[in-house]
Amino acid sequence: MAYSDKVLDHYNNPRNVGSFDKKDPNVGTGMVGAPECGDVMKLQVKVNPATGIIEDAKFKTFGCGSAIASSSLATEWLRGKTVDEALAIKNTDIVNELSLPPVKIHCSVLAEDAIKAAIDDYKKKSENVESQTKAHA
Amino acid sequence: MKFYEALGLEPKLALDSEDLKKRFYDRSRQWHPDRFSRGTSEEKQRSEEMTSTLNDAFRTLRDPVSRAEYFLSQSGLELPKDAPPELLEEIFELNMALEELRGGDESAREQLVSAQERFTNMLGEADTNLADLFGRYDETFDTAVLDQVRAVLNRRKYVSNLLRDVEKELNVHSAN
Repeated sequence: MAYSDKVLDHYNNPRNVGSFDKKDPNVGTGMVGAPECGDVMKLQVKVNPATGIIEDAKFKTFGCGSAIASSSLATEWLRGKTVDEALAIKNTDIVNELSLPPVKIHCSVLAEDAIKAAIDDYKKKSENVESQTKAHA
Repeated sequence: MKFYEALGLEPKLALDSEDLKKRFYDRSRQWHPDRFSRGTSEEKQRSEEMTSTLNDAFRTLRDPVSRAEYFLSQSGLELPKDAPPELLEEIFELNMALEELRGGDESAREQLVSAQERFTNMLGEADTNLADLFGRYDETFDTAVLDQVRAVLNRRKYVSNLLRDVEKELNVHSAN
């Protein structure tokens, strides 16, 4: 099966590969995987707590070209979005952008799950920070 | 369930492997296409279909893992897509180590060797666990047990994929 040009581009030049300190309260980490192919995807967002805008996003994915491209594209889209806008990203958007064939749709689902997991993690952390601040006040 | 029916078995998760083999051989002989060489075209076709079904059935049911996957899919319970969360972190770290070793960093080797041992043990535990669950389900028909079977299979698949990658990497690099 041939990869689309966009998949190849992301695969050969993945954007935003790397990681943030997951203990940073402004960082949300999403770790997801797919047992059928053994893919693992880690996606992180760094949020400005004052504005709720995702200032930076990084990923590291072990898996096929489509999984790498899906997560690479996701980090590009996340930058500059608010947390709520980020949650509106759908796997079908990724499928369309990358022209993923049906057998690779699960890669885009994984990327959507990773985004949601990262945002969830950030939200949980910021709630904790808030409740702690209140408790100390 | 077609594969169980083909071998004249009740749909159960726990099967006796000798009994399974005997059923497969007996029925394969019974339906062997050579015995129908002078039969009608319907009979020939039936014998070919049965032979092919018996082969698929035996191949699927003799291995406890593929048997359980078949059983769950026939019960409408597909493998879930979500990975066992407690394993993901470890899998990620291990993939990092694999990548380092591929890049020529020999210090990753020790980590991989201990991972190989740990994952081999985990596979053994998963298999024991499956055997227990099979027995429990066959006695109780409790679908909660099937969920546990599904979770163990899920975990096992990850571990065996990883183990394969780890062993491949260790072999490549020890050969050099």
